[in-house]
Amino acid sequence: MTENEATVAAVDWEAYEREASAAVAAASGPTELEDARVGYLGRKSELAQALRGVRDRESGMLLNGIRERLEAAVTQRERTLEGEELDRRLREEIVDVTLPGERLPLGHLHPITQVRRIVEDAFLGLGYEIRDDREVETLEYNFDKLAFAPTHPARSPRDTFFFDESHVLRTETSPSQIHALEEHEPPIYMVSIGRVYRRDAITATRYPIFHQFEGLAVDEGITLADLKGTLLHVMRALYGPERRIRFRTHFFPFTEPSIEPDVSCGICDGAGCRTCKHTGWIEMGGAGVVDPQVFENVGVDPERWSGFAFGCGLERAAQLRHDIPDIRLLWEGDLRVLRQF
Amino acid sequence: MRVPLSWLREYVPIEVPLGELTERLSVASAEVEGVERIGVPEADGNLERFRVGRVLEAEKHPNADRLQLCRVDVGEGEPRQIVCGAWNFGPGATVAVALPGAVLPGGLELERREVRGELSDGMILAEDEVELGPDHAGIMVLADGPEPGTPLVEVLPLVDDVLLLEPTGNRPDLLAVYGVAREVAALFDMPLADVPGGQSSGHVPEGQVEVEVDDFEACPRYIGRLFENVRIEPSPLWLKSRLLVAGMRPIANVVDVTNYVMVALGNPLHAFDFETLHGGKIVVRRARKGEEMRTLDGVERRLEPEDLLIADTERAIALAGIMGGEETEIGASTTTVLLEAANFEPFTIFKTSERLRLRTEGSNRWEKGVDPYLAAPAAALATELLVELTGATWTAQSDVHADLPERPVVCYRPERADAVIGVATPVDDQHALLARLGFERGDDTVVVPTWRARDVTREIDVVEEIARFRLEEVPFTLPVRRAMFGTLTREQQLRRRIEDALVGLGFSETYTPSLRPDDETDWKLPEPIAVELTALRTSLLPSLVEAVRRNVDAGAEQIALFELARIYLSNGELPNERLHVAGVAPGGFARVKGVVQALYEVLKAGAQFERADHPLFHPGKTARTSAGIVGELNPRILDGEWGAFELDLESLFAESREPVAYEDVITYPAVRQDLAFVVPEQVEAGELVAAAREAAGPQLREVEIFDVYRGEQVGEGKKSIAFSVAFQSPERTLSDEDAAALRRQIADALGERFGAVLRTA
Ligand SMILES: [Zn+2]
Repeated sequence: MTENEATVAAVDWEAYEREASAAVAAASGPTELEDARVGYLGRKSELAQALRGVRDRESGMLLNGIRERLEAAVTQRERTLEGEELDRRLREEIVDVTLPGERLPLGHLHPITQVRRIVEDAFLGLGYEIRDDREVETLEYNFDKLAFAPTHPARSPRDTFFFDESHVLRTETSPSQIHALEEHEPPIYMVSIGRVYRRDAITATRYPIFHQFEGLAVDEGITLADLKGTLLHVMRALYGPERRIRFRTHFFPFTEPSIEPDVSCGICDGAGCRTCKHTGWIEMGGAGVVDPQVFENVGVDPERWSGFAFGCGLERAAQLRHDIPDIRLLWEGDLRVLRQF
Repeated sequence: MRVPLSWLREYVPIEVPLGELTERLSVASAEVEGVERIGVPEADGNLERFRVGRVLEAEKHPNADRLQLCRVDVGEGEPRQIVCGAWNFGPGATVAVALPGAVLPGGLELERREVRGELSDGMILAEDEVELGPDHAGIMVLADGPEPGTPLVEVLPLVDDVLLLEPTGNRPDLLAVYGVAREVAALFDMPLADVPGGQSSGHVPEGQVEVEVDDFEACPRYIGRLFENVRIEPSPLWLKSRLLVAGMRPIANVVDVTNYVMVALGNPLHAFDFETLHGGKIVVRRARKGEEMRTLDGVERRLEPEDLLIADTERAIALAGIMGGEETEIGASTTTVLLEAANFEPFTIFKTSERLRLRTEGSNRWEKGVDPYLAAPAAALATELLVELTGATWTAQSDVHADLPERPVVCYRPERADAVIGVATPVDDQHALLARLGFERGDDTVVVPTWRARDVTREIDVVEEIARFRLEEVPFTLPVRRAMFGTLTREQQLRRRIEDALVGLGFSETYTPSLRPDDETDWKLPEPIAVELTALRTSLLPSLVEAVRRNVDAGAEQIALFELARIYLSNGELPNERLHVAGVAPGGFARVKGVVQALYEVLKAGAQFERADHPLFHPGKTARTSAGIVGELNPRILDGEWGAFELDLESLFAESREPVAYEDVITYPAVRQDLAFVVPEQVEAGELVAAAREAAGPQLREVEIFDVYRGEQVGEGKKSIAFSVAFQSPERTLSDEDAAALRRQIADALGERFGAVLRTA
């Protein structure tokens, strides 16, 4: 038996490993763990010394096995302690979550644009193209081809902005109907959205410049019922799935029959309140079946094709959706207003 | 159109609840804007405090010369003592009395009170106090008959509902109480009274009124009637109260009758003081050049040859259909009246009323087209009333007219109505509806009533008559589709992208008017409503800057606004309308340039900037891109440091590379290097970048400036510009030698063109 063999034999390695494992497991901080590691695995430890003297394979396997297991235990313990340390630190890092976040610059889309997109998306879903046409119009497109009578009040410079005898700022988006009909053969499904102009004094309810969306569907077999279904879809997109609509008879030069669509009041649901002037209904614009005269004016056969058209105001829609009491607020660019939407 | 319900019920016995009547009218005929309850408030038994009284005694108030002290029997056994300020009655008069506690139309509650030391236990009413007339000169003396204590509401129309009807321009027949009654009778399938005046028969005078119509196109019919021994007096209470409720001011019997007939039937009438006419003759003619007349409102009118006049043998005496002349007006001393019941064509009246900016109850009806057959019943009703109310004798007449238009006969296919409306209405039901509206059924045709002859001339117009009765039953369907168009165009998609990017960059969207006070343009309104709204704008920035200024004044923080809207460039027959986007935000040139770069980037477009001048901008901090302008605003325009831009969307979108094609930047990695060049001060960075790209070709994938340095190390009048570059090839991994060659190409080119010297690290 050599001296080394004697050293290996002199230690109860089972007990050594047990003792070392217990010391590692008991280490409650990095210092204690380091002490245990140095004591049982360090250069001067009994294990290290024994390993240096090992000559036989059997003892080597035994001692290396112990060393590897102890090293793993130290690493394991180290991770645990680090984790506990992190937990402790995080528990102390408490902020007042009710304090404000950092203020990042964020802009706002104008309510008219928001309504415009709702309308566009509703009509895209129904398979309509979106377009817009010129705002400076000729009398031919603004009135004549739309079958306005020579005595129609809109032809008066009291109601309409004239540049000269033959040019006006369009009074509605309806000339788009003529442009669309002249551009393509039916079937046509389009909605035109843009600015229109009327000679109104500026008040809480009127502004001489405003926006309309104007729709036109021309196909075979189109009926007033199709108009009713289409407007119901769009009104529900704008005002919610519970809304109902009704038609009232009306008169427009370019539709026959003409109607005005009303949407049920969202505030009182039809019972009557101030918003709906106690009628339970809110006027949405104008609509009707395309007058055969309009088709004849653009060379479309009214016996084969039929259609409907409608026009509504975007400002009105934005005011109703957001309960905006004064139309001028939509034109003043006041950030206190714009930032609400 | 104000339609008093009590008046309406004279022609149609409508008793349905008011809400049902207004709903049905609104849906099928004309919108009822509202219902005005007028007269004495009805709540809390208030009407019971209005009674018929008989004056038992009336004498001067002991303490006041202008007051009477009366004892009035109001059916209570014991008479009441009432102090009264009027003297147009005496003992025995039947009067209207309001008892203490009664609430008058204005809301005033009567109290028992002392007047100059004498108890007044009620009030004897004048007509204005219960809204029956305008008069307050005396109290109402009622016809004898009703017993004292009779509720006053049984004797006088103390309460009425007025429908505020808004007929559309195609329905002038609804600008008359009788016309509305006809519509109500059709809607509710009820009997309709005969046309008032239509049944008058009896004596027609032999005498002739001399009438000459020069222009039957403009005046298809002229009925003139002469009345002698006319007594001008206030109208009776019933007539005054009807006119008041209908919204017209009672004046005196003759004029009141003409207004009454207009409201009842819809045919405006006029009355002349015959003795003021020269030559005793009516001539309907166009104005002569330079002719003038003074209208009832006291305004001297210069006439044009397009104006239609009523004249005598010498001068104009009325603007036909619009307004009478001052010189021939009915006055208190008038004794001979010439009544005009005519028909005028809409366009002539419209043109004149338009040019003179003179709109009256009459012109409003003529403009929309009045049934030429209506003149006869209107003349008859007026005659009846004039004889009754003025004591006059009808002594002469004439009815001059061209051939009156035939009733339109319209080819009609009932199945067409079903195809248009989308709901079936049996043929017999259709004809029954049409019959109630006055249409007659022919063989495959319908004959239109005279009062609808202008509006209903084609099959589709008849279809509308059916449709308006069935609107509530029209179902909700959608068109059967064979073609779909539901996609945004590329421009519409990119537009949304711009809007969303700006919102993400902190800009809030605003809308400003398209009209400006002062833009240089051919498109100016000759008659703007305000100078601020005169010219179509050629740029968005001025209005946007104003909006920013308003926000500054309001104390807003972090102001950043944008607008996306049209501008209008002069361009021949019609303006060139172009969509622009403009923004204003705080910060210097680099910041706003960053915004514009971001906009190019979201569009997948490359921006090139070069120095530019613009009147709104800082002379040294302004650049142009292919789409517009960007820079710092001149501080004269807006105080402080503000960046602004305005870009033309079409030009911007033209540069978009959307949809972007994928480039392989993963297989062969890039070689990244930093290069710094010393260049003379006046050389601009953009020139260097462009030249480097040109020299190195597509293998120079990225080039970005990250530093500009001036100082001793580079020398006076020079600067060092540092670039970070990435060399990359999609085909192979570039070697160090490749990168060195590329760097040399760049250095050579920049050296040659700008005297740039590559600094070595
Ligand atoms: Zn409501």
